[in-house]
Amino acid sequence: MEKNDRDFKIDVEIRQQKKKKVRKRYTLRFFKVLNAVAFVLTIFIIAVCMIILKRPEISETENRTLAKWPSFSVSKYFSGKYTSGIEEFYNDTVPGREYFKDLVADIRARFGIASSEVKIHGSMVKQGSKPKETKAETKASDSAAVKTSNTAVTTVKTTQTAATSTKDPLDDPNIEGEISNNILVYKNRGIMLFGGSYSNGELYAQYVNAFKENLGNDVNVYSMVCPTPVSYYLPKKYSDMTGSEKDNINNINEYLDGVEPIDAYGALMKHKDEDIFQRTDHHWSQLGAFYAAQEFAKTAGVPFAELKSYEKITKSGYVGTLYGYTGDNDLKDNPEDFVYYKPSNNYTTTYYSTDLSEEWEGNLLINLDNVDPVSWYLVFMGTDQAVTHVSTDVNNGRKLAIIKDSYGNALVPCLTGSFEDIYVIDMRYFDVNAVSYLKECGITDLLFAMNTFSATGSNFECIEQIRTQ
Amino acid sequence: MVFSSLFFLYLFLPLCVICYAATKKNRYRNAVLIIFSLIFYAWGEPLCVFILIISAVINYILAFAIDKYRGRFIGKLAVISAVLFDLAVLGIFKYSGFIVENLNAVLPLNLPVPDIKLPIGISFYTFQIISYVIDCHWEKVSVQKSFPKFLMYVSLFPQLVAGPIVRYSTIESEINNRRTTIDDLSSGVSRIAVGLAKKVILANNLNIIVEAFFGSDIKNLSVMGTWYAVIIYAMQIYFDFSGYSDMAIGLGRIFGFHFDENFNYPFICKDVSEFWQRWHISLSTFFRDYLLYVPIFGKRRKYGGLFLVWFCTGLWHGASWNYIIWGLYFGMFIFIEQLIGKKKMKKIPIAVRHIYNKIVIIIGFGIFYFEDLSQLGDFFKNLIGLNSNGFIDEFTKLSVTNNLYLIIIAVICCFPFAKVIQNISKKNTGFTYTIAASKIVVNIALLLVSSILLVDATNNPFLYFRF
Repeated sequence: MEKNDRDFKIDVEIRQQKKKKVRKRYTLRFFKVLNAVAFVLTIFIIAVCMIILKRPEISETENRTLAKWPSFSVSKYFSGKYTSGIEEFYNDTVPGREYFKDLVADIRARFGIASSEVKIHGSMVKQGSKPKETKAETKASDSAAVKTSNTAVTTVKTTQTAATSTKDPLDDPNIEGEISNNILVYKNRGIMLFGGSYSNGELYAQYVNAFKENLGNDVNVYSMVCPTPVSYYLPKKYSDMTGSEKDNINNINEYLDGVEPIDAYGALMKHKDEDIFQRTDHHWSQLGAFYAAQEFAKTAGVPFAELKSYEKITKSGYVGTLYGYTGDNDLKDNPEDFVYYKPSNNYTTTYYSTDLSEEWEGNLLINLDNVDPVSWYLVFMGTDQAVTHVSTDVNNGRKLAIIKDSYGNALVPCLTGSFEDIYVIDMRYFDVNAVSYLKECGITDLLFAMNTFSATGSNFECIEQIRTQ
Repeated sequence: MVFSSLFFLYLFLPLCVICYAATKKNRYRNAVLIIFSLIFYAWGEPLCVFILIISAVINYILAFAIDKYRGRFIGKLAVISAVLFDLAVLGIFKYSGFIVENLNAVLPLNLPVPDIKLPIGISFYTFQIISYVIDCHWEKVSVQKSFPKFLMYVSLFPQLVAGPIVRYSTIESEINNRRTTIDDLSSGVSRIAVGLAKKVILANNLNIIVEAFFGSDIKNLSVMGTWYAVIIYAMQIYFDFSGYSDMAIGLGRIFGFHFDENFNYPFICKDVSEFWQRWHISLSTFFRDYLLYVPIFGKRRKYGGLFLVWFCTGLWHGASWNYIIWGLYFGMFIFIEQLIGKKKMKKIPIAVRHIYNKIVIIIGFGIFYFEDLSQLGDFFKNLIGLNSNGFIDEFTKLSVTNNLYLIIIAVICCFPFAKVIQNISKKNTGFTYTIAASKIVVNIALLLVSSILLVDATNNPFLYFRF
């Protein structure tokens, strides 16, 4: 009896254990089903939401038009641009994009301990891609064209220019170099850290010297390498984070031969406490450009209009490109004023396409009413992708050409009282031989004006390119 | 198309899964996978998809010849021509520019350098095809009679563009007949969530740090700055590539395929040889099985073969000298470890072995990063302070504090803590349930956080797409 009882007990235990095992297996199976169902359901719910919810067309915080559904053509399909366009449209116009972008900033802010004083941002936009700015420029040049054109003929021509400017500047390797990889935000100011390169600076100088050689002694050639906020506003403590713009500019000046250096660095240093740079944009302000232009006029021996003579225009609520590059809310939440100055003398402005085949009248300072705030720097000439000719009421026999990056744009209205004619060429967008064009224009002075990033980055190659093409 | 995009996750994948689930018969399911795979590939490579199809057709036919004329001259000819054809395709589309550039440099030639765009994934699918024809020749697998099935094997989108290199033998039976169990589905979605998070949360954000240091002129970096950046880069590559493999394996399981693991916590390795048994396993085993015993070195083939394997491993990663140096660099250390011998290696204190292999591996990633050899030189100088930029700088300190939590999480994820916890949990029923339940929450959380981060992602293709 006893034995049987024990056997029975063991039997029950085994059965219970088996039951337990089976129960465990079923429970785990239940969790597995739940895991799969929850995940798949989440995917499907989001997928349906993304299809039925309204997709935004513009991004207000980034101040740009979002990607559009691409138009179809066979060649576009086989180049892969059609399909990638659809993908870009789908990824770029996510419903509730603005809200999610704020969330992203929040998530990123939790990656580490944010120093209260300074934050560094790796560039979220890869060098050379700069899609946001390029799009904004295209859009602005569009609206600028419409605003500034008076006749039907010019409208047609400007539309064409807008079309050429959309010929995928993203593919253009020359666009890169102006934005460094690292941006530091200090006291609500974005500061791009400067790498610099002595060897590139030497090449820059050689390329500029070559222009002097080609143009001969009748033409004065100047080199103005413009410093950026890093030289003025980076706290001393962090000075080892950046290369020295001053040393790089001095290095360039040592290699100049027959070309006069313009000390923009020193000129701006005297006015360090004024708003010579935009806090939230990678450009300088026109005030900064004005002081640099003043230094140039002194060296070139031309008259120079006083600041008082200009009409000052202030637009508030400006958040420039550095917000887009850093995603830093300190920049977004602290907009600044965008101030520009209208010269008082008389002048007319003519624009040419970069291959000089098209020509249209326009304004030197465009109307900003329909331009996204982020792109307000475009007030100067509206685009980089055109050649500008300003003919003024000055009568001193001096004709200036400026070969520049976007820093040069703000210089132009500061010099309308100094030269009879001003020709403005963006070295990144010029499709004919620069030397023969300049000779044709009969210039007496040639100014190279670009920031240190361009002069020692990759844009300086364009100087040689436009001379030899 | 990349896995880590909203377009893939919330449009392509759901559509594919719906179509797959709507069909019951294996034949139709295969058709669904072929169609979606070809769309997937043609999405980024509308023309190169034809190279893939032509490659599949030719190898499919040659495999027949291998089988029919086995042991005879024609059979051998068929194997050799299949392998040569595949290598030629790879050579033309991946290496012709590199070869011509080097010929021009060495010989007084001035050949025009061909500008051929690298078709995405060609290195992966070509190797898969090679494994198939050689296995056919060795009678390890039987010839696939159905072309659609073979095409499905070659084009299967989960592993098509960035691996792992799935051998035909691994999924032979599943190509013909397979079903998705609840186990497959559950662990499949878990792998997808983990892989996505590795790529989007970790790799993409580590990349921002790396570019901050290595993206521009590296001459100004301090000693610590350089070490810091290259360590972050090593982790970035690991999460990028293993994340992709995780997603590939997970997607495979959803459709009933069981791919082999491609990564097994490589950073816990005790020596460099072990690292390569844990890193990109499908590539190392491919070379081990198909290349190491090529009898071209005669009696010295053991060591000759070893260097051939590492030369090829480097070259496979990219048509540039730094990759070859990188491969041979690892080959050299493995050679040294073989000379020392396993027994003697084991006698070395474990701490020393870890320090040794981590330094070798981390410097290896530096070689991997810098395609420009002069920059690579600067990198080495920086590592030992020859550029006199000081030992540590504010920039590095700031970067570490700004990203401290991200870095800590990344380091933890490099080691198998999660696996250890799961193994412990198996002993206790309550603990097992807790883990199983929290997995569900974690998966959803990873998916949501990754998706949110993707809203802001400018195009961030997986690094291994280049290869």
